[in-house]
Amino acid sequence: MKHLKVLFALIIIILPFCRSCYYDSEEALYPSTTSTCDTTNVTFSGKISPMLANNCLSCHSNAMAGSYGNGIRLEDYADVKARATAVQGSIKQTGSYVPMPKNGGKLKTCLIDQFDIWVRIGMPNN
Amino acid sequence: MDLLDKESKPEINYTTATFKSTRVMNGHSIEKMPAGQLDFRISHRFGRINSGAYELFGLDQANIHFGLEYGIFNWLMVGIGRGTYEKTYDGFTKFTILRQSTGAKVMPVSVSFFSSVAINSLKWSDPERTNYFSSRLSYVNQVLVARKFNQSFSFQIMPSYVHRNLVETELDPNDLWAIGAGGRIKLSKRISFNAEYYYVATSTTYQGQQVYDPLSIGFDIETGGHVFQLIFTNSVAMIEKGFIGETTGSWGKGDIHFGFNISRVFTLK
Repeated sequence: MKHLKVLFALIIIILPFCRSCYYDSEEALYPSTTSTCDTTNVTFSGKISPMLANNCLSCHSNAMAGSYGNGIRLEDYADVKARATAVQGSIKQTGSYVPMPKNGGKLKTCLIDQFDIWVRIGMPNN
Repeated sequence: MDLLDKESKPEINYTTATFKSTRVMNGHSIEKMPAGQLDFRISHRFGRINSGAYELFGLDQANIHFGLEYGIFNWLMVGIGRGTYEKTYDGFTKFTILRQSTGAKVMPVSVSFFSSVAINSLKWSDPERTNYFSSRLSYVNQVLVARKFNQSFSFQIMPSYVHRNLVETELDPNDLWAIGAGGRIKLSKRISFNAEYYYVATSTTYQGQQVYDPLSIGFDIETGGHVFQLIFTNSVAMIEKGFIGETTGSWGKGDIHFGFNISRVFTLK
């Protein structure tokens, strides 16, 4: 029993050292997606919706908006279209709208640019 | 009296309660849960104080970290946790190497080793590319060296190493080296003033934003089975990987977060 306990303790101590360390960077791993910003193929389903899902829907989904997102929904195309100007102001954090995402982070320039482009080409639902 | 002195064996007096809690503020102290005790921790960091009255000075938004931490032996504790910040799961082990003592054996400092793994569980920013699970992982190793100078003053230094498997650009370092210092000054029987600072030697940016050294000040309030810690900090993350490498708030600009740690201890055996 004593030996078992010691063995167990050793396993717990050694576990954190048995790791696979990688020295990766997004720039090197995914050269095509990070070095250039895709500004030609901006679609709602391909670019805008995933960006919103990754960065906004934790509070602004249809289910969460009431309790966490001040009632602002950004899940469906029609809702996003109606709020596009406010979203632009919030993610650019220029002052006239409440800066988003909360906690001081800012979206990557590419994502902000793509949202701008999508608004400029008339907010297609594609 | 001489007889008495000869008969009693020389004893080792181990120093206890160098810190009141297993955390100095954000980071770990040399203290561990005693064997068989389970610590349920709930920590909050609110939004930035400089976000203004509309956000009630940050109180409208809360970041939470839950933790379950257990002492297997008096010298070994383990813990798991989950934080709102980047939806991160974390696990750690912490064990004693040396104990500060006087008497028959004199040891000037207590030394513990802390090691943790954090798993970022955010959805991939680009789900179409080949994403690796290893990219979610980051590791922290710390040597904690503490000394309780007297009843009311303890001091600790923490050489730290943070490894991130995936960083954004080639210029961002995967390895971060930092050294922390923290201390505790007892104000009354139940209240102490604590402060903690990490100097991050590898200065960097995180997601395009300037990273600052984390500085936290606050109070420990002891109430029976609870230790309550009130904190002012420029960091929103509550685990080492986050506050050492990803603190984007600056005290100078007023990016200060109010927060607290609540610790409730259950005796399991």
